[in-house]
Amino acid sequence: MIRMITKRLLTSIFTLIILVSVVFAMTHATPGGPAFSILGQKATPAAVKALNARLGLNVPWWDQYFIWWGHLLQGRLGFSYLLNRPVTELISEYLGNTLMLYIGAIVLAVVLAIGIGLVQGVTWGRWPARLIGAFQLAAYALPTFFVGTMFILYFGVEWQVLPTGGITNLRDVHPGIIDYGRHLVLPILTVGLLSVSGLSRYFGASVHEELNKDYVRTALAKGLTFRAVLFGHVLRNALRPLVTILGLSFPGIFVGSVLVESVFNYPGLGYLLWRSALSQDYPVVSGIVLLLGVITVVGNLLADLVNGLLDPREIYD
Amino acid sequence: MSAVLTLDQFAVALRRGRGKNVPILDDINLTVAAGEMTALVGESGSGKTIASLGVIRLLPRGASTAGRVMLGAQDLTDLSDAEMRKVRGRDIGMVFQNPLSALNPSTRVGAQITEVYRLHTGESDRAARARALELFGEVGIPNPADRLDDYPHQFSGGMRQRVMIAMALACSPKLLIADEPTTGLDLLVARQIMALLTKLRRERQMGVLFITHDLSVVEEHADQVHVLYAGRSVEWGPARSFFEQPRHPYSQALLGAVPRLGQARLVSIPGNLPDPETRPPGCRFAPRCSYREDACETAYPAADTLGGTVFACRRGREIVPEVLGAVPQAAVRARQSGPVVLQADALGVDYPRSAASFLRGLLGGRDRLTALSNISFSLQRGQCLGVVGESGSGKSTLGRAVLQMIPYHGRVILDGHDFTTMGAREKRAARLGVQVVFQDPRESLNPRMRIGDIVAEPLKLAGMSGSRARRDAAAALLNRVGLNDRMMSQFPLAVSGGQAQRIAIARALATKPAMIVLDEPTSSLDVSTQAMLLNLLKDLAETDGLSYILISHDIAAVSYMADTIAVLRGGQLMEMGDAASVLGAPQSEYTRELVAASPHFRSTNKMGAASGAVAVADKSGF
Amino acid sequence: MSLSLAENMAAPGGALRRGAAARLLGWVGDRTMLVSGLVLAVLILLFCFLGALIYPASPVAIHGHHAFQPPSGAFPLGTDQIGRDELARLIEGGFSTMVVAIPAALLTFAIGIIYGMTAALTPSWVDKILMRLLDALLALPGLVVLIFFASLFAPGNTELIFLLGLTSWPGLARLVRNEAISQRGRDFVLATRQFGGGTWYVARVHLLRVMAPILVVNFTFLIGDSVLALSGLSFLGLGVKPPMTSWGGLLQTGLNLIALDPWWMIFPSAIMIFASIVATNLIGQGILARLGEGR
Repeated sequence: MIRMITKRLLTSIFTLIILVSVVFAMTHATPGGPAFSILGQKATPAAVKALNARLGLNVPWWDQYFIWWGHLLQGRLGFSYLLNRPVTELISEYLGNTLMLYIGAIVLAVVLAIGIGLVQGVTWGRWPARLIGAFQLAAYALPTFFVGTMFILYFGVEWQVLPTGGITNLRDVHPGIIDYGRHLVLPILTVGLLSVSGLSRYFGASVHEELNKDYVRTALAKGLTFRAVLFGHVLRNALRPLVTILGLSFPGIFVGSVLVESVFNYPGLGYLLWRSALSQDYPVVSGIVLLLGVITVVGNLLADLVNGLLDPREIYD
Repeated sequence: MSAVLTLDQFAVALRRGRGKNVPILDDINLTVAAGEMTALVGESGSGKTIASLGVIRLLPRGASTAGRVMLGAQDLTDLSDAEMRKVRGRDIGMVFQNPLSALNPSTRVGAQITEVYRLHTGESDRAARARALELFGEVGIPNPADRLDDYPHQFSGGMRQRVMIAMALACSPKLLIADEPTTGLDLLVARQIMALLTKLRRERQMGVLFITHDLSVVEEHADQVHVLYAGRSVEWGPARSFFEQPRHPYSQALLGAVPRLGQARLVSIPGNLPDPETRPPGCRFAPRCSYREDACETAYPAADTLGGTVFACRRGREIVPEVLGAVPQAAVRARQSGPVVLQADALGVDYPRSAASFLRGLLGGRDRLTALSNISFSLQRGQCLGVVGESGSGKSTLGRAVLQMIPYHGRVILDGHDFTTMGAREKRAARLGVQVVFQDPRESLNPRMRIGDIVAEPLKLAGMSGSRARRDAAAALLNRVGLNDRMMSQFPLAVSGGQAQRIAIARALATKPAMIVLDEPTSSLDVSTQAMLLNLLKDLAETDGLSYILISHDIAAVSYMADTIAVLRGGQLMEMGDAASVLGAPQSEYTRELVAASPHFRSTNKMGAASGAVAVADKSGF
Repeated sequence: MSLSLAENMAAPGGALRRGAAARLLGWVGDRTMLVSGLVLAVLILLFCFLGALIYPASPVAIHGHHAFQPPSGAFPLGTDQIGRDELARLIEGGFSTMVVAIPAALLTFAIGIIYGMTAALTPSWVDKILMRLLDALLALPGLVVLIFFASLFAPGNTELIFLLGLTSWPGLARLVRNEAISQRGRDFVLATRQFGGGTWYVARVHLLRVMAPILVVNFTFLIGDSVLALSGLSFLGLGVKPPMTSWGGLLQTGLNLIALDPWWMIFPSAIMIFASIVATNLIGQGILARLGEGR
């Protein structure tokens, strides 16, 4: 077990080093360098030079690379070009809202996916499973921003049951926690819906697959009820691939939240990323991308560890 | 003896696609008496597994059954689903093939056993655990207390099957249904499992319905034999009478297809098992039967009896005891020794393995695992070297080293040319002279290539130009292995396992190799198909002077084919020599055990001595 | 598909005994998903590529007097807020979407296969490095990287194709690599090597052939994903440049005016995006279902 964890940790660290390098390469691949993009029309050679000096861009790229690493290891992500505030400060300001959205959507998606997937897996090939399949496809095929807007239109405008925007920051919740929660419902539903579609389909398929395995026949031959076999034997084995796919789908869920946050004007990282990307604020963009990469790598690591707990073979081999 | 299980006109039909149900099993009448074993024998597709699932009512959705299933005095077909659940596990225990997949991989074996005991007795967790411990001791698992909390993958194949048996016995059932419990196990282990089952049923007065494709497994254990062909009973009765004189041509062919030492020719059954949709209206075996007459094809023959067994054949009475014994014994097999084709000197193979110590593993250290050490042999033209051993003995590794598929040390010399001194190009050309036929023919043919292209592929790679010429050559190769060249445009999935294996042989012949490594070539095939394939290989050896290395766990097949036999164990050569002497007078203790464990071979010895009827009652091997 | 054909031929009687019409119906019946997906896909492609011939109105001409009108005889799908013909724009948007999404999917497909195959067939240390790089790339959300680059230079269609193609291949690459690794140790590959088949030959003739169905399925999914990603980009204001448009762009314009409830500006483009994803997924899942039966 310890051996497996150590091995996975080493791999993850290696992956993170590559990730940081890729992000560095990305932000420095801009034609003419960031100064050009920032200055735009005003990009006289002198102004560019001055700005480069101010941003620390006047040294060779390999020096910049190592300086960047040094800063990263100290937890410094640089300053936003536009807002002139430390990136870490900006990120921590928006992070809370995004985490709420992210975690809420994931919990919703996992709970629904397990329920729906069980029904689909058990009725595989018959009408309930087909019906579920049709809904899964429909949920997947609708653009996220369209779904979000429709939610706003109906829940917020037509029926006026839920607020559609104007959420405050998690740190200074003025109107109270209930109001904050009400603001979260629609964004979570929108992001969650997209994830439920893929996750439940995947889980349904793995329940179906597990049900066709020999040990199910053995368990039934022992006289267990189908329900006991399903919950006592099949569920645990079918969860393993779900955990793996969940770990892998973190970036996908974030992509969904970028779009959803911009639909709901939701002050989260996705929204910040979008605004910063549009205004070429590289330190902010690379900071967020990096954070996300780290979350994903750690998420995958966690998924592997959970799988180790679910499947004894992973530990002992 | 009272009957534990009685099947009365039992029939099963399964739903296939959207149409109406297709009959799989018809009119089965069968009894299992308390303390006795009834063997239900049939090749794949005979419906034997469906019969067992029908008894415990775990058939696939949409299946329909007819007839009665009596467990003691109780008709199982009358029970409600809830009542039936109480019968499963409590009154009927099940043991399935391949215990690795039949046990839940993520649950401790102890918990899987206590689960069934608690379910049916309502006992506490503690009592159930005590019971599991007791059962573990009874089925012969060493250190039972330590092993209850292990997972299935931590057991060896034989021990896993013992766990399955312990689980089936948890509630002391009256009937045990064992569906191919020894298939896939090594010979010695399979023998131990059979002995265990016999011991348990005698001690507990438990009936055993033993389902198998392999008659020889049950020869010394079964009390009753029931042979199925294409979903119908063809012959049944006391095992003793059955093995003394089978009356149905199919039973005869099944017994005659089992290879024996020094036998010139195996009895083979032409054709394939019919699909359930296209079964012939009369006797289902008629299209493949050499005793066929016109009446056989119109109506199913009535059951007849003579000398103990009941058989469904019009001409069963004519089939005389001599038929079996009359298989020509090729006493003289004097082959002139030809030139040496292949020589191996001090052949050894090591596999790298993750280091045993954690720290070294972290640093990327590797331990070496010796898979094969210091094997030397030479193979003459037209001869066959049989390599025998259990799984993990290194026999397949030996084959792969000879084929140059894996790195090895020592020398392999083909036709006087040493592989170790060759350059890459030279080696590539020389490898064409050593070809291979694998165990699973479906795995060894690309499922998305047409059969014609598969057979022609070696020719194409060897640089033969002109697709027309290649096609003709491929057709000729197919004809040589007894296949019709019309199948060239089909895909491998459309042909039977035996045909697929012949295609693999045709392909191996394409480069005109000096020798072929046969890696368990028949172990995934039915007995009748196996006989046909072994006959074909023997013919090719004679006509083309082909040499073989036959790798097999099946001593019967090796004894039929091999001139020389090498016995491997744990990568070491235990014994090597002339086939007759290795099998007849084994030098090492291990070889003696192996030979004694092979039922085919034991009965052959007997036959050689008695040269007539097959004797059954030989229990000296115990 | 040739596989199932061969099976039908092999089954004695069976399929061949029935009449041609019944067989055709049977074919449709067994393959509902695949056939309906194909029909839908053909309709959508006809609309995008030949629609302009049947309905030749200009997608950029401004009819000032008729701005923001619901569907009518003159404008079957109404007009937008500045008076452009919505049906013409829907056709033009479809054309723009397809000429970006399909080549982008092809590019993704090519990169994914080459990268995955390279990883599977090179020595294990190369594979390890390639896989760690892949892990890192997979940890980056594709659309986020896309937004980043799209914001650097306002991309034209060619740039969009490259951006989409270069950011969405890692998932496919891993699938190809894992699949190729699981196939390359199979006995038929070993047999081919014994006949002197080299790595390149094995990859080309055996691995790709065995993997073909799964690759085709993934290609259909890739097209759907490209359409979705492109519409997401358009929504964020980074897609096809005005005055030209895409379905995502049309939908975004409509949604921005949602307060005025311009249903004719929202639903047609939403339905077209929806239908494209549904079509590609039906085809892909249809093929998968057929393969499942074949086994």
